[in-house]
Amino acid sequence: MIIPAVVIGAVATLVLTGSDRSKPSRRYRPGQPFDFPAMWLSAAPEKTAAPALTADGHHTAPAIERGLVIEDSSGAPVRPGPTGGASDKW
Amino acid sequence: MTSGELTRVEQPVEGPFSTRQLLRLDEALRIADQVTGLNFSIYLGELGESTRETAEDLHRRTRTPSRSVLVAVSPNQRKLEIVTGSDARKRITDRDAKLAGLSMAAAFAGGDLAGGLLIGVDQLATHAGRS
Repeated sequence: MIIPAVVIGAVATLVLTGSDRSKPSRRYRPGQPFDFPAMWLSAAPEKTAAPALTADGHHTAPAIERGLVIEDSSGAPVRPGPTGGASDKW
Repeated sequence: MTSGELTRVEQPVEGPFSTRQLLRLDEALRIADQVTGLNFSIYLGELGESTRETAEDLHRRTRTPSRSVLVAVSPNQRKLEIVTGSDARKRITDRDAKLAGLSMAAAFAGGDLAGGLLIGVDQLATHAGRS
């Protein structure tokens, strides 16, 4: 009976003292404030050929392509333009 | 971070990612760039009132917007935007981007910020295919 109590006490001690409470937790929790400054992440671009344009300097793809629908985060269709992509939320 | 290469995967001293997570993100972005020939980048921060507009504005600031794919995530607003340039969108359709966004949102909802970003970059690069 004493041994299990000692084991439980040791585990509880490790759990409570294991984390460094002096530093803010990095773990993201939805709904909790995300207090870190904004950041960009990107790899160095490799040497690639510049994208070719048509002879008159316009993009070949039309602004609206069949099957392409842009939606904002609420799901409402967004006026298509030279960019594509998607939106979502959680 | 990787020998012989210059990378700009950096964060402030007290950032949201561990060193290991940063290394994984760096590798994922580098591989995505190399395999697809597109330029992948991630923005993590506030996206203002009009998240889509802000994300597109950020996308325009990338080195080669037409070939750029931007994943913009606002943890506080709990919203994400994927922006593909005019050339990139020929290889990553909006439907592909939507699917990647769904996977990312699911990971973020579970509290896995780095994991969600890795999933998103990987899926988008897979959809883009080899250059």
